[in-house]
Amino acid sequence: MSTTDKKFEQYTVTRDGQLMLAKAAREGVETVWDRFAAQQPACGFCETGLSCRNCVMGPCRIDPFGEGPQKGVCGADADIIVARNLGRMIAAGAASHSDHGRDLVKVLAQVAQGRAPGYTIKEPEKLRRVAAEYGLETEGKDDLTLAGELAQAMLEDYGSKQERITLLARAPQPRRQLWDRLGISPRGIDRETSEMMHRTHMGVDNDWVSILLHGLRNALSDGWGGSMIATEVSDILFGIPKPVSGSVNLGVLKQDQVNIIVHGHNPVVSETVTAACSLPEMLALAQEKGAKGINLVGVCCTGNELLMRHGIPMAGNHLTTELALVTGAVEMMIVDYQCIMPAISDVAACYHTKLISTSDKAKFPGMQHVEFHPHNAMDQAVELVRQAVENFTARDPDKVSIPVEPQPVLSGLSVEAMLEAMGGSAGPLLEAIKSGKVRGAVGIVGCNNPRIRQDYGHLGLTRRLIANDVLVLDTGCVSVATARGGLKTTQALEQAGPGLKEVCGALGIPPVLHVGSCVDNVRILVLVSALAQALDCDISDLPVAGSAPEWYSEKAVTIACYFVASGVFTHLGPLPPVAGSPNVVKLLTEGLNDVVGAAFAVEPDPEKAAQLLITHIERKRQALGLDARGV
Amino acid sequence: MKKVIIHPERCVGCLQCMLACAVAHSASRNLVGALQEEPRPRPRIHVGVTPSGRGFPNRCRHCDPAPCMAACLPGAIFRDPTTATVLIDPDRCIACASCAMACPFGVLRFHPTFQAPPGKEVAVKCDNCDQRQAQGLPPACVEACLTRALTFEEPDQALKRQTDRISRLVLEAVPYAEDLPASLSLLRALKQATAEMNRR
Repeated sequence: MSTTDKKFEQYTVTRDGQLMLAKAAREGVETVWDRFAAQQPACGFCETGLSCRNCVMGPCRIDPFGEGPQKGVCGADADIIVARNLGRMIAAGAASHSDHGRDLVKVLAQVAQGRAPGYTIKEPEKLRRVAAEYGLETEGKDDLTLAGELAQAMLEDYGSKQERITLLARAPQPRRQLWDRLGISPRGIDRETSEMMHRTHMGVDNDWVSILLHGLRNALSDGWGGSMIATEVSDILFGIPKPVSGSVNLGVLKQDQVNIIVHGHNPVVSETVTAACSLPEMLALAQEKGAKGINLVGVCCTGNELLMRHGIPMAGNHLTTELALVTGAVEMMIVDYQCIMPAISDVAACYHTKLISTSDKAKFPGMQHVEFHPHNAMDQAVELVRQAVENFTARDPDKVSIPVEPQPVLSGLSVEAMLEAMGGSAGPLLEAIKSGKVRGAVGIVGCNNPRIRQDYGHLGLTRRLIANDVLVLDTGCVSVATARGGLKTTQALEQAGPGLKEVCGALGIPPVLHVGSCVDNVRILVLVSALAQALDCDISDLPVAGSAPEWYSEKAVTIACYFVASGVFTHLGPLPPVAGSPNVVKLLTEGLNDVVGAAFAVEPDPEKAAQLLITHIERKRQALGLDARGV
Repeated sequence: MKKVIIHPERCVGCLQCMLACAVAHSASRNLVGALQEEPRPRPRIHVGVTPSGRGFPNRCRHCDPAPCMAACLPGAIFRDPTTATVLIDPDRCIACASCAMACPFGVLRFHPTFQAPPGKEVAVKCDNCDQRQAQGLPPACVEACLTRALTFEEPDQALKRQTDRISRLVLEAVPYAEDLPASLSLLRALKQATAEMNRR
């Protein structure tokens, strides 16, 4: 084995990734790992959160050694600067997922007005259920009228009129009372983000604890607000995911077909592209151009949305997005927003791949911009698929290399699907937890990050947890990692502990459940709320935990914060930029236990992280009066 | 005589020294002006990186005897008799890279500068900011370093501090690592652990 191959093994555990990295190197294509190496060493001020660019009296830095400046020009010390920076990360993450939610509500509103020809109400029953939660009268109203009213009610949640956002009511009562006592019940989705930007302006909130508490409120406004709305409206418009078979890794690309990749997060675009790909005239055009068909695949979270709802193949997660183009077999990549590296354009330029941006708020250098709006989405999708098919003849067969065979995956485990699999209630899962066959559950979520060998954190942690009878639910890039690693098949039950194997085996589900995209982490909130209510306890009493072993994004910070603020102990692989303030670190890792009944832990090594999570679960079991191992 | 002294444990890898060095060796001597100059000024101090991502500011040691000077056939490299700084005459330099081969520290670079004949690549390295020092200013890298990883002081003074530190370690068993603030020891421990994990 050459040293370069060895290097690629240190970049990623994925075989398809290693092979494509070697191809990229041969063809002179730069990847995220090259750029990561070029960025080293990272700036220690930024990495510890000790630099502030919030105003132009600065920029300011605090010397962590204590000899240089200890205060910014305004007088903010390390604690204030670190808290302000973290607060702004939370605001950015909340803004991203919640704005994604808003785009879905806009589609719902335009469907109601008959101005969104590519979309329908796929789940009238869920529409009625959610509308009832919003206090709307559902009797005697047709679906479209109700959809319009629900969209308006949801938009109110975004504003500043409410005392509390509506879906907070889904949380168990003790949790809601705790939020009220702490003064962190979110009042409006946009309001909390806007207020965070205000608080962190020079000369506003200079109590670091107060900033961080608002950070939790801001995160909750996303978790129980914008993100939850995104998931619910996606289900209403595109269908509630049900168990579905699919396949994953770069082997899902097809040598003899037109390959189209959708990348990004919002199903608003990818759903219409999906529909356009199966139009008879498109298939006929593909035949005419010498292709055997049109192969639509996903990457990143819009791929998760399609896999969950349609079993559409998944090519890879965040760090695979460039490598998918290195196959040389992709006619078109259609992107919406979030986690789309602008570097994609440089990679595509080495092949025949056409890149299309679709959102008015996300444009990229080197991409053709074809804007999607609810009124024109279907027409735009058809036009794009046509262009992709026509691009098939531009493919250079000498540059094409599709590595590995696809890995099967079972997906589509929405809360509704899980309940259905269990015969209509969470009872069997509760019984399995009570009897100790299943010790507890961990939601593993988040991204890839070139700081950590791709998928190593996800797979190491997941394998260790299921071997110890801990059920794993995953979303986002993690879900691709575990699927690619073969853990989302019933064969993977062989790697599970005896209790988990028995319970999942009886239900016919894998030990690792795919619950959706990263915005769908709210499905985990809904599930833990149901469990807590069934046990008549708070979420923080449950033997559950969260983990983000390879996170990188601001969205992940917000998710982690709404998990913790909801009472879920949460492990992080990479350290957020907070080390510069030992006070903030102590609050996040210990102090929050006394505030919200949960805290963070940071541990890059998945083996050690598994131990942390298992110990936590066993302690919670003990406190509930259940049998506990090793505590 | 004061010298630039490096304290590697204090380097946080912010690259500010490189930026300040490039500006100090520009025609305009300010950041905005320097960014518009052609040839673009470049730093003469270089921050290297360890496997766990820590930085180390590497610069010319102004050795005596200086291997680069001995290797320089056209005699472009010389020592300033008053400051003992090793300097390069860009007009005499033939960019043969003999100095770079001889240098044990890898501090030589080759590129055009505003002082060299136009279009000519020449050997470039740290000049101890002799022009700034003539104005009573410390070298630019030292001035830019907020964590005091680079200091400009009498070597005896710095060595005495180190002697005291070692004495403490030997006689009172106060570990060296205790000099690190909690913030950085946490960050470095995690980065070290991550690097080791990635090497597995």
